[in-house]
Amino acid sequence: MCDTINNIINIVGKEVIRTVIGLVGVFIVVLGNAIMLTWTERKVAGHIQRRIGPKEVGPFGLLQSFADSVKLLGKELLTPANVEKPLYFLAPTLIFVPVLVTFVVIPFDGFLQVKDINTGILVILAFSSLTVLSILIGGWGSDNKYSLIGAVRSVAQNIAYEIPLLLSLLPIIFMANSFSLRDVVEAQKGLWFVVYQPIAFLIFFISSVAETNRTPFDLPEAESELVAGFHTEYSGMRFSLFFLAEYTNMFIVSAIAVTFFLGGYQGPILPGVVWFFIKTYLLVFVLLWFRWTFPRVRFDQLLNFSWKILIPVSFLNLLVTGGILKL
Amino acid sequence: MTMTNRVIEEFKAEFKSVDITEVPYDKQGYHLSIEARTGNLLGVVDFLDKREFYIVDLFCVDYQDCLELVYFFNTHRELCRIKVALKLDPGKPVAPTISNIYTIARWYEREVHEFFGVYFEGHPNLTYLFLHEEIGHYPLRKQHVPVPDGDKKLLNSFRPHEEENSFFINLGPQHPSTHGVLRVVLKMDGEYLISAEPVLGYLHRMHEKMAENKSYMQFLPNPARMDYPGALLFNLAYVEAVEKLCGIEVPERAKYIRTITCELNRIASHLLWLGAFPADLGALTPFMYAFDDRENILDILEDVTGSRLTYCYFRFGGLYNDINEETFVDATRRFIERMRERLVMYDKLITGNVIFINRVKNIGILEQGQAKKYGFSGPVIRSTGIPFDMRKVEPYAAYGSIDFEIPTGHIGDNMDRYMVRMKEIEISLNIIEEGIKRLPSGPFKTEKVPKKLKPPKGDIYNAVESTRGETGVYIVSDESDTPYRMRWRVPSYSNLMTFPHLSRGVLIADAIATLGSYDIVVPEIDR
Repeated sequence: MCDTINNIINIVGKEVIRTVIGLVGVFIVVLGNAIMLTWTERKVAGHIQRRIGPKEVGPFGLLQSFADSVKLLGKELLTPANVEKPLYFLAPTLIFVPVLVTFVVIPFDGFLQVKDINTGILVILAFSSLTVLSILIGGWGSDNKYSLIGAVRSVAQNIAYEIPLLLSLLPIIFMANSFSLRDVVEAQKGLWFVVYQPIAFLIFFISSVAETNRTPFDLPEAESELVAGFHTEYSGMRFSLFFLAEYTNMFIVSAIAVTFFLGGYQGPILPGVVWFFIKTYLLVFVLLWFRWTFPRVRFDQLLNFSWKILIPVSFLNLLVTGGILKL
Repeated sequence: MTMTNRVIEEFKAEFKSVDITEVPYDKQGYHLSIEARTGNLLGVVDFLDKREFYIVDLFCVDYQDCLELVYFFNTHRELCRIKVALKLDPGKPVAPTISNIYTIARWYEREVHEFFGVYFEGHPNLTYLFLHEEIGHYPLRKQHVPVPDGDKKLLNSFRPHEEENSFFINLGPQHPSTHGVLRVVLKMDGEYLISAEPVLGYLHRMHEKMAENKSYMQFLPNPARMDYPGALLFNLAYVEAVEKLCGIEVPERAKYIRTITCELNRIASHLLWLGAFPADLGALTPFMYAFDDRENILDILEDVTGSRLTYCYFRFGGLYNDINEETFVDATRRFIERMRERLVMYDKLITGNVIFINRVKNIGILEQGQAKKYGFSGPVIRSTGIPFDMRKVEPYAAYGSIDFEIPTGHIGDNMDRYMVRMKEIEISLNIIEEGIKRLPSGPFKTEKVPKKLKPPKGDIYNAVESTRGETGVYIVSDESDTPYRMRWRVPSYSNLMTFPHLSRGVLIADAIATLGSYDIVVPEIDR
């Protein structure tokens, strides 16, 4: 028995086995996170709105998300008559790929990382822009005018906010002297980067709210204007895949913010992975808080904010950081 | 010299051949009556337009031997209600359009056309507004008059004229921000609106026809179904009209209770709007807060009226039953205290929010000059700076003896409309407090009201300030126990019709914010 396993390991190679186990772990985290977050969002929303939120299914309504998933799985998958079938079917699946890949490079703990790639941050940025592609093809393929407007909005919004997102991460890369995420975390042994780079942190966080299409920047799905935006025509499990991706994206942007600015898995007493999740979910909570407090900005205001304020400020921040480091 | 006398003098000087008569205002609710003819109607309307009259309502009454087109005018500065009547031949009813002078007539005339078959010469778009395409006759005519083939083409209200490069969106009838079943056809250029055209009738129940088949008492619950968030105010408009028509006296106590409950209802309605308006802008939390407060009012009113939404509390000559002095007054006082604290909280939560301010300030600006052309009313007109409020202009119930101020805006944008409504909640609280303090004892209804009302021959126009503006009811009585004709002038109708004007060239997000700031209620528009 032991020999067989050793043989298999020798044949396929240790790296591959590690990656496969890692991916399975990532999948579990993604699903667990999404289920946890739907419940949290409803509870947080409830308490912000002076309600109690779900409480019937399981203790504190903890099983509500499972009940919801079963309901969504059991629903008929409706396909409207005039959709572009390949695009329409592809979009919900495609939105999930970048989400999974991004998880590969995130260091949950010193040892807990699927693969430390020395261009880790580039992988994240490259794949997170893929999300908008699936929103675009979903909106385009739906053959619905609201979906189309939502998709077009999403593209403009993501182009505008990808730039400050990148520009706010570059100073960190200067300071850590590496593209690898683990090196970035290790460089924060003493002080967290948020102390050196508060402006970059703010810009990153604002841009990531826009990247994840959350209120106040939820224009692609603005329900009071566009009914449901790009996912108007999706129902059942296809719809829930979009939502799974949204909740996972929230986790990812918070995890990246934690990795780059809040010392990643570093912290006293408790194990690193616990610190990592505490910090990440704190940021996720801030995202939820935003959603249930703010109205939505208008589209031109959204773009102006990025092009006229965030991008110049992040450029300035980059120049100043570069100058100081050079001295 | 009063406005009425001045108008009579000037009118007699200008029109030698047209009759103008003064009518008893106490009995009929309007001051002057003018008998126009097809030839000189435009002249008469133009004369009124030059003297800053706004159009209150335009409708038709079928007297069998003739069709009478009725135009009601009034001014915003001083109460001077004028009825202009134009008699038409029922065989071939044709009238000149006044939509070039008063823009709102464009929609009123379409309504008259589909219900009576009156043609308006020179009307730009005489298609049907409310009715279903399979209807084969003119419903409000007293005799069966089939719809001719030419007219049938105009049914099926509105189909966008598709061109190359035109992008149409149907906003509604099922859409989260149209608050009911309103449909607006938007012609778009990207995110910008080129034009917007409301299409009505998805909630049309023909209350005006229903009234002709019910006795005065039987029609009592109907007005509440028109404006469900402000049911008591519609109830009051109808009850007062019938009381004036029959000459029924109302005891003082009933008047005060009417005022108090109406103001409570007004706050409830404004709170509903306060929840819905930020939701249109994407903030969902104020909705729950506002409903929490509204619940308190519903509890108080349920205690008194027996229902929570579509109240039918007022009766001819009084009320359905008396209030319980202890529980009602206590609960209301507690509510006033609580609401005053909550208003401070709303200020922090909504009014001070930077995103909110940027979304509503300088958006959807209505100029004062437009007020005359459209005849909009309520918070919408007060936001432009005109202090026009039926409670002050034409005090009814106990409003005459209670002192209160009228909040006004400055430029008539969405922010002003928001602020005016918020201040109105505050002022309503003051009115309620004052009303409770002065609440007289005595009977709550007149005993002498007969079960079967048969009002004397005549007509009456009675208006109240409902939560959305001037709500008027016009009743023609023919001495039978059912109204001969009943017409409802609803404020949301004229408020909504400014939307096509305001939404030209704005972003879709702004258009929805503007639509939300009007606080329209579709069942009231469709009737």
